[in-house]
Amino acid sequence: MVLVLALGDLHIPHRAPDLPAKFKSMLVPGKIQHVICTGNLSIKEVHDYLKTLCPDLHITRGEYDEDTRYPETKTLTIGQFKLGLCHGHQVVPWGDLDSLAMLQRQLDVDILVTGHTHQFTAYKHEGGVVINPGSATGAFSNITYDANPSFVLMDIDGLRVVVYVYELIDGEVKVDKIDFKKTTATTHSAH
Amino acid sequence: MVKKKVPDWLNSSLWSSTTTTSSYYDTNHFDHHSSTSASTPIDPPLPSAATRDEQQHPPRHHHNYHPRKPDIKEDKHSKSSIVNDNISNNSSNSIINNKIENRKADNTESSADDISNQALLLTELSRKVINMGELRRIASQGIPDCAGIRSTVWKLLLGYLPPDRSLWSSELAKKRSQYKRFKEELLMNPSEITRRLEKTMGFDNDDAKSESRCVLARSKITHGEHPLSLGKSSIWNKFFQDSEIIEQIDRDVKRTHPDMHFFSGDSSFAKSNQEALRNILIVFAKLNPGIRYVQGMNEILAPLFYVFKNDPDEEMEACAEADTFFCFVELLSGFRDHFCQQLDNSVVGIRSAITRLSHLLKEHDEELWRHLEVTTKVNPQFYSFRWITLLLTQEFNFTDSIHIWDTLLSDPEGPQETLLRVCCAMLILVRRRLLAGDFTSILKLLQHYPPTSISHLLYVAGKLHGQPSH
Repeated sequence: MVLVLALGDLHIPHRAPDLPAKFKSMLVPGKIQHVICTGNLSIKEVHDYLKTLCPDLHITRGEYDEDTRYPETKTLTIGQFKLGLCHGHQVVPWGDLDSLAMLQRQLDVDILVTGHTHQFTAYKHEGGVVINPGSATGAFSNITYDANPSFVLMDIDGLRVVVYVYELIDGEVKVDKIDFKKTTATTHSAH
Repeated sequence: MVKKKVPDWLNSSLWSSTTTTSSYYDTNHFDHHSSTSASTPIDPPLPSAATRDEQQHPPRHHHNYHPRKPDIKEDKHSKSSIVNDNISNNSSNSIINNKIENRKADNTESSADDISNQALLLTELSRKVINMGELRRIASQGIPDCAGIRSTVWKLLLGYLPPDRSLWSSELAKKRSQYKRFKEELLMNPSEITRRLEKTMGFDNDDAKSESRCVLARSKITHGEHPLSLGKSSIWNKFFQDSEIIEQIDRDVKRTHPDMHFFSGDSSFAKSNQEALRNILIVFAKLNPGIRYVQGMNEILAPLFYVFKNDPDEEMEACAEADTFFCFVELLSGFRDHFCQQLDNSVVGIRSAITRLSHLLKEHDEELWRHLEVTTKVNPQFYSFRWITLLLTQEFNFTDSIHIWDTLLSDPEGPQETLLRVCCAMLILVRRRLLAGDFTSILKLLQHYPPTSISHLLYVAGKLHGQPSH
C-alpha cells in the first residue's frame, strides 16, 4: 500500500500565490511515501514545501521553473509499476494522446504522468495509462483561464492502482477515484 | 497393595535404590489415589508428556517426603496440606524449620524439591477437574522447568483454560479462532478494507472490457473515504493515527531482550517471534482504545510468550500466539490502571500501589522504612515504579523472573498483593546495605538490584503474608 502524490503546474509565485487552503490542510507529512511533480513549481520555496511532505521527491523541468537542474523526463519503479514523469510542454501537440503514447513507449513505463495543460485527464491506451494531474493551484494556462485546482493521489497496492482525483470545485474539495489493474507483473527483479 | 497398573514414569531403576522407603511411599501413594473418587488411574497429564516422562528423571520425591512428613494421613489433601503447611500462617514452626534446614542443607535436596513439586503438579494436572486452590498452592512454591508443565499451569492460573479438562479442546479452539478473526479485522490495511467494501457494495468494476483506447472512467468514492481524509471515522485517518503506535510497538519489540536468541537476532525464528509479539501488541492496542500501547507492555508480554512457545506439545506451540494474547489480556487486566497516566493519582493507580508498598515496609521493618523515607528521603517512586509496573521482569534475569512469576500468578487474590510483598522482601533482604547507605548509594543499589537467591526471596515474601512486624 504505497501512496504516491502526483501534482504540478503550481506556477507559484507568478500566477498563483499558494496552494488552496483546503488542499494544504489535507496534505500533511507522514502519509505519503512518494511525491512526483510534473514541473512549473516554479521557485525553490515550493520545492522545500514539497520536500517536507515526503523526502522522496521527483520533479521534472517545466518551462517556467527557476531551477534549471531538473531533468526533462524521469522514470521510477514503485511496487509493480513503472512510472514515467515529464512536464509535457515538449510533447507536441500539447495533451495529444497519440504523442503522449509515443513518449510512453519511449520511456517504457506503465503509467505516464504529464502536465502543462492544467486540465485533469486520465487515458488508457494499449501501452498503458496517461494521467494529467492538472494544476494544483488552478493557475491559468496558455490555453485557458478556467482551471480548477486539482491533484492526484495514487494508491499502489500490488497489481492494482487506485487513483484518487482531488478537485476544488466551487470552493469544495471533490474526490473521485479510478481503478485499474495491471495484467502482468513486471519482470524486473530489483526495485 | 497396588491395585492399578504402575505407570511408566514411576517405574524406573531409581526406585529400586531405596526399596524400603519407596515401597512405603508407593503403597501410600496409590492408596491415596484409590481413595479419591474423582481421579482416573494415573495417566500422564499431557498426551505428549507421556513419552517425555519416561525419558525424564522420574520423581524422587520419596527421599524428601520421609524426613518431612510427621505422619502419613490418608485423607485426600494429605500431600497438598503438607505443602500448604509449609507456607500458611498456622504452620507449626517445626515444619518451617525443617524446611529451612532442608533448603540450606543439601543441593540435591533442593532439586528434589523441584521433583516433588513436579510430581504434585503432574498429579494435580492429571485430574479430570482440577482443583484450582490446590494447584495455586503447589504452584506458588515454584513450577519445574520441564515437560511444558509451566505452560499449562500458567494457562490454568490465568483462567485461560477452564479447570474441567474435558472442556479444554473446545475452549482452545474457540479462543484461537477468535484471535484469528481479530487479526484479520484489525491488521488489514485501508486499501484492502476499501476493496472489500466495494465488493460488498457491488462496485466490482472489472475492466475486462479492454477497449484499446478510452478515457478512464471516474467513479464515486465509497463513504467519502480517501487517503487524505481528515474525518474522525475515516479508516484512512485511523490508520495513520495508529501508524504512530505501530511504529512505537515495532521499536519496542526490536529492543525486547536483545541478549536472548529467542527474541532478537537475525534468525528467522527470532523474527517470527518478534512478528508474533508485534501482532499481539497491535491487536491489543486496537481493541483497547482507552489504554492503547504503553512502553513496557512488551516486557510483560515477553515471558508469557516465551513460556508458551517453548511448550513441547506441538499443537500448543503452534498456537502460542493466540494463547499468549488472551493470557496477556488477563494478566494485564489487573494492572491496566498502572499504565494509564490519568489514573496515576487515583486509588487504583500506580501511586497508590507505591504507597501500599511503603506502608507494607513500614509495617514489617519500621527502622528501614524510616531510614528510606525520612533520613535519606528516597522517594519510593524512584525504584519501585519499574518493579511494580513491569512485574519485576527488569530486575532479575529472565529465568529468575519467570520463577517469581510462578509465585505471582498463583496468588488466588491476583498478583498485586504478592508483588508488593516480593518488593518488600527485596528491600528487607538488602536492609543492611540500605541502612548504611546515603541517597545515591541506595538508589544505585535499588535500581540495579543485586542478584539474589530467588527461592530465599520468595520465602521471605511468603513469611510477610499476614504476619505482623517481627
